[in-house]
Amino acid sequence: MKFQELSNLLEQLSHITKRTLMTDMVADFLKKLKEDEVEPAVSMMLGRPFPKWDRRTLDISWTTISDTVKRLSRTDWKEFSVAFRETGDIGSAIQAVFEKNKIHRQITLFESSLTILEVRRLLEAIAAATGHGSRERKERLTESLFSRATPVEAKYITKIMIGEMRTGFHEGLMEIAVSKAFSVPLKTVQKAAMLVGDIGEVAAICKKEGVEGLSKVSLKLFRPIKPMLAQMAENTEEALKEHDGKTAFEYKLDGARIQIHKSNGDVRIFSRRLSDVTKSLPEVVEIVRREVRSKRAILEGEVIALGRDGNPLPFQHLMRRFRRVYDVQKMTEEIPVKLYLFDAIYVDGDSLIDAPYVERRKRLQEIAGNIPLTRQIVTGDPQKAEEFLKEAVDEGHEGLMAKRLDGPYTPGVRGKHWFKIKETLEPLDLVIVAAEYGYGRRHKWLSDYHLAARDGETGEFVRLGKTFKGLTDEEMERMTERLKKIAVENKGHLVVVKPEIVVEVAYNEIQESPRYKCGMALRFARITRIREDKGPEEADTIQRVREIYERQFEKKAKLNH
Amino acid sequence: MFRVKISNAKLLRDAITAISTLIDEGTFTVSPEGIKLRAMDPSRVAMVDFTMQKTAFDEYVADEETKICLNLSELLKLLKRAGRDEAVEIQLDENTGQFVITMRGKYVRTFRMPTLEASEDEVPTPKITFNAKVTLTTDGFRQSLEDVALVSDHVRMETDGEKMTMTARGDIMGANIELLKGSDALLSVEAKEPSKSTFPLSYLSEIVKAASATSDIVTLEFSTDMPIRLDFKQTYDGTLVYYLAPRIEVE
Repeated sequence: MKFQELSNLLEQLSHITKRTLMTDMVADFLKKLKEDEVEPAVSMMLGRPFPKWDRRTLDISWTTISDTVKRLSRTDWKEFSVAFRETGDIGSAIQAVFEKNKIHRQITLFESSLTILEVRRLLEAIAAATGHGSRERKERLTESLFSRATPVEAKYITKIMIGEMRTGFHEGLMEIAVSKAFSVPLKTVQKAAMLVGDIGEVAAICKKEGVEGLSKVSLKLFRPIKPMLAQMAENTEEALKEHDGKTAFEYKLDGARIQIHKSNGDVRIFSRRLSDVTKSLPEVVEIVRREVRSKRAILEGEVIALGRDGNPLPFQHLMRRFRRVYDVQKMTEEIPVKLYLFDAIYVDGDSLIDAPYVERRKRLQEIAGNIPLTRQIVTGDPQKAEEFLKEAVDEGHEGLMAKRLDGPYTPGVRGKHWFKIKETLEPLDLVIVAAEYGYGRRHKWLSDYHLAARDGETGEFVRLGKTFKGLTDEEMERMTERLKKIAVENKGHLVVVKPEIVVEVAYNEIQESPRYKCGMALRFARITRIREDKGPEEADTIQRVREIYERQFEKKAKLNH
Repeated sequence: MFRVKISNAKLLRDAITAISTLIDEGTFTVSPEGIKLRAMDPSRVAMVDFTMQKTAFDEYVADEETKICLNLSELLKLLKRAGRDEAVEIQLDENTGQFVITMRGKYVRTFRMPTLEASEDEVPTPKITFNAKVTLTTDGFRQSLEDVALVSDHVRMETDGEKMTMTARGDIMGANIELLKGSDALLSVEAKEPSKSTFPLSYLSEIVKAASATSDIVTLEFSTDMPIRLDFKQTYDGTLVYYLAPRIEVE
């Protein structure tokens, strides 16, 4: 199948909002594909070069892509920026540049138009280029890919390469389309996708072996599955009520959740987003190898970073470990991590997916060796629960999890079997001092807000965060109008405004940050309401923010540089 | 059974280096007559056609045609260990499927490396009618390319049968190189009709740089907006030929 046909389909999908129409079109398309085209096509439609569990990455920067396009089209940044401002989408901007300019194509020795398999083959070659001279080879391959592309193909190649499809056709709809295309019950498709970890591969199985093939699907070692998710509960009381009076409360550690796969001495670790982070965490691999008393297992746990005094460090330091590929050894010394286990999904041939939580925890206990499990109490006593929460927070953790005792492991589902309970930090009243036009759907609105606190001493407004979360579309539209009226400077997509509008902002943590002059930044900031009743002179001060920041460390260790 | 011995290790190393500018893994066909490899780079813009006759080796034994696929950068790492005048022996261990490389100098060193699954794709020869044929010293050609690389990432090659011109235009700078009949670098030039074509330096410079270690004379054949053929004359019984597709401008 020609890549042009896939591009045309994606183009159509991006103009449709009716879901049944979308799934029908994709289902028809899937039926027309050959066996070996199914998985690549499905992955690409969802904006992925490879299946989800695949460890390969393109490792190609946006600069390389844009340089290639600029070189082929002989355009400069200005033209690209204009196209981007008009469309609010990188792929569409590239399409526009391709349409407007003579393209200097690098032809191939045996000319042919791009097919789905040919695009996949080139993406594979880009991913495979490593080591000495790999950057040049990646560039050459990217150039030949783009130079063979029509404008609309270039648009979707870009989207696949940067992983931002934005057609509105997401994974859930793909499951429906696969179910329709191959006449397999949706539930079966979903269950298989959950176990295999990739809808593209499920589609390929459907094409090849139909529903029979799907029934043979089971958990596979070294194929990460989506983690089970938790809903937020107001407090311990709500969790107890939802779990019929008794539940397992556990410390919710402020670390990074990991999935550990082990087969004898072979251990691999996946992040919450299923990327392979084995190389960044050698000491975790080591301890799992040494302690886990089963030949094969899939376990879940949390790693936290420890400060010199043994208390947990804020989350951001831990993330530095995850991104690290070089000098892992040095980082291992600088930011040691500690592993806590909390779930077992598979142990020596037994899939525990459908087993109740208490049983999974018991199996985990049996094989965990000297690796600690997250602290847990099983109780129906609201007072005990409250005390436990206070303890967790006092020790510098995020809060508690509440897990239904008879709940199965439901991968990827954010249900009521698990709740998270947090002690929230008090919200801040901050002033909007600038705003940016957003991306995609929000590109017409000033929807990225720069937030500032007042300096109580000088009266200046000091930036400490940015958010696009919290406002409804309608509120954003109105906010855009208001902000335009008080604009003092237009810098392209950024508009600086008079500090007038006060908003209430919730956040999860105040981080140390070099980005802002005040040295602090809000993590997960979101606007909870617009404080029409407050003027900028009544906004919270930066001194107050610093106070809250310092208070975090009464419990958490500070990293000593 | 496949076993060869070559007393000049550099010859083999340079040949493999020349091939590895385009491909990471190479499938060699060994036969009683010699070794050959023909492969396209992954983006299918360029192709290498390599042969080394059995007479190029000091000893050569191959009783039947076999395909051997190797990781070229791994192979090069090993070959680089051979000293200037060391003899290199290579054989295929049919029991393990491993490639065994022995170097005999002051002491004997033996390396083993795995062979990979051979690709079955046969790469055809591009069918092109060439209108121009230019023979240059490899060194002169390499230096001209270094000159144009200063201003652009591609070069236009042009000939009318009297001279060859290489031009490059960058954003702010330009370069123009004329190689006239009778000059040191240009050995011969002929053209059935004036021909010009543009080629990416990312390939052309790399190819010429790598091949220049193996060859003093290169023959270019091209036509307007068609792939170019570069034939690097080898000092042993064998060939090293590349094809490279041009850049063209489309509306």
